[in-house]
Amino acid sequence: MNIAVKYGVRFLLLAALQALVLNQLELGFGIQFMVYPLLIVLLPFEIGTISLMVIAFLMGILIDAFSNTYGLHASSAVVVAYFRPLIFKTFAPRDGYDPLKEGNSYDMGFRWFLYTFGLLLLIHHFWFFLLEIFRFDEILFVLQKTLFSLPLSFVLCLIIQAMIVSKPKER
Amino acid sequence: MRNLFAFFRRFRVFLVFILMQIFALTSYFSFLQYPRAQYLTTASAVAGKTLAMRNELTKHFNLGKSNSALQRENKLLREQLPQSFQRLQYGLVKINDTLFKQQYTYIPATVINSTVTKRNNYFTLNIGKSQGIERGMGVFSDKGIVGIIHNVSDYFSVVKSVLTKEINIDVMIEPIGLFGLLKWNGEDQRKGSISGISNDMHIKKWSKVVTRGGSGIFPRGIMVGKIEKLKPVEGKPLWDVVVRFSENYASLQRVYVIKNLMQEEQEELESNIPPDDEE
Repeated sequence: MNIAVKYGVRFLLLAALQALVLNQLELGFGIQFMVYPLLIVLLPFEIGTISLMVIAFLMGILIDAFSNTYGLHASSAVVVAYFRPLIFKTFAPRDGYDPLKEGNSYDMGFRWFLYTFGLLLLIHHFWFFLLEIFRFDEILFVLQKTLFSLPLSFVLCLIIQAMIVSKPKER
Repeated sequence: MRNLFAFFRRFRVFLVFILMQIFALTSYFSFLQYPRAQYLTTASAVAGKTLAMRNELTKHFNLGKSNSALQRENKLLREQLPQSFQRLQYGLVKINDTLFKQQYTYIPATVINSTVTKRNNYFTLNIGKSQGIERGMGVFSDKGIVGIIHNVSDYFSVVKSVLTKEINIDVMIEPIGLFGLLKWNGEDQRKGSISGISNDMHIKKWSKVVTRGGSGIFPRGIMVGKIEKLKPVEGKPLWDVVVRFSENYASLQRVYVIKNLMQEEQEELESNIPPDDEE
């Protein structure tokens, strides 16, 4: 499959899922599902940081346009894109990244995925809720929202990843 | 000069990052006050149409509830029709009414997008400029107030709901006529608070809170909720009054937009008040 088509489909799928379904779910306790950082992690390893940030920005703006958040999602997505190279570097395998693979849990192993994606998702959620509430006397509420939403978003991302990424055959 | 270029090349990723953040965050923080960037909101044509399509799918989930709400309201209105009254006096001639003149008209609308758990919650309505909606009109439902129109496009509009910071609607506590400003603390979608009530007043629990109708956005007496709790504010002679909203904003569907036919007249008159030198 052409690489642009592949990522284009993922882009639209995740944006639609986030804007039309997940932003409408309101479970209480400050829980909010956010799955679009998954796209940023799945993009190829050799992509430049600036193009990564541009893609993330477009994704965020698209979701903002559908949920009356006026740039909040865009800002958080760009933060994820900015931190991705740093975190990928920290958890790099001994002989570097294989350009034929991508950052999903099948190619790189679940442990790698848990560390990198979990960390990026934590940064994303914390940044998002911090800006949404934007009051330092309610920092506990920010932490509560982050800690409650994070595991649920992560599990949902694993499920979505299992659906959109094809599992490599056993050798 | 060369050093400058070298600097830009070295930090270009960080500079692009900062530029994007500035763009996103100015748009986020400025929108709360001044709605300008219309293409970024659900009032824009593409997002509005898509959300309207989604609402076509999901509106049926609440059909039973919204039907019975409409029926209850129909019953009330039917009871006011001439057919439901018995005529007590014959021989009187009805003349053109000079005692009452219509001040408010109502435009029905459907909520096609809403949130209740965010820090600032906006609702999108399926009507806009072409149906006569303007910025600053009030919105209410059959059970209580909803908010104020914040941003309008040709066929859609965005409501700044009661569940936003700095909503500040004029309300009063019913039997005693005390008034204050309605606020929301940003946490519980079922509760708001009223500020500026001095604590020498005796207020009964569960007394009604309605709109005051001072600014001409809402008519007097639209239901807001009931008083649930009174807490003293530390260090100030004020009550912190907790109001339980009468409307459940999580399942809001049908609303009415208020058009005040005498708004201009009131504003013109009030603009003639001489400015206070001491302020």
